[in-house]
Amino acid sequence: MKFTNSTIKIDRDLSDLDRFTISFIEILEKHTNYVIVSGYVAILLGRARASEDIDVIIPKIDFTTFKPLIHDLKQNEFYCMNTEEDKDIYEYLTDDLAVRFAKKDCIIPNIEMKWAKNKFDELALEKTLTVQFTENSLCISHLELQIAFKEIVLKSPKDLEDARHIQNVAKGHLDKELIKKYKENLHDFYI
Amino acid sequence: MTFTYENQKERFRFIDKWAEYVRTHSDKDWSNQQNIIINSCLQNASMTKEQFFKMKGEKNYQI
Repeated sequence: MKFTNSTIKIDRDLSDLDRFTISFIEILEKHTNYVIVSGYVAILLGRARASEDIDVIIPKIDFTTFKPLIHDLKQNEFYCMNTEEDKDIYEYLTDDLAVRFAKKDCIIPNIEMKWAKNKFDELALEKTLTVQFTENSLCISHLELQIAFKEIVLKSPKDLEDARHIQNVAKGHLDKELIKKYKENLHDFYI
Repeated sequence: MTFTYENQKERFRFIDKWAEYVRTHSDKDWSNQQNIIINSCLQNASMTKEQFFKMKGEKNYQI
């Protein structure tokens, strides 16, 4: 694993979860920006656990942009687990609810996709890292925000372990002052 | 010391040890081991949509 300012190069063998995520992201990125956040970030960096879902944030998009995205996903054997109709899926998003996409006839794994709904989601979308595999790449949130979010907002044992793992593997590549600042800001906003 | 505290301490010890392994071994090496966990979890996952949403505590879906 090699860290540079905006890229992490990982020469890893892909898991079924990686392949699933890449197949979704290859479609999504044709239509909009995105960022992957939360548990899968830790898993990408080697955390020894699986996950049933991948959290993805996208910016707010209009229905004209959204419709071809859904069409493209359906053409590639993805379906929305929440509802079938395009306008209903869109309505969930406009209500600030997440929607989930899985491969046809599957429930797990799935992508949990939501719109950026606050300044921290916007920040995750703005300040990203590229995880570069041999043939593919994925866009993840910068690690300082992920660590702070898991330790201050989510706080479950699993999230605290994810944060600890990220801090361990990215040792020497993290801005500790930034993590501290995010923790204070997140505390003021959420707690 | 409670069981939960001791258990969490033990889990953190493993987290640290595994992260050290990831840092000091090739990506191919650790990812092969990680993939055994991930792929077997996904292959054994069997759940209905209703069960999944219930587990997640989400109600925003149509049957």
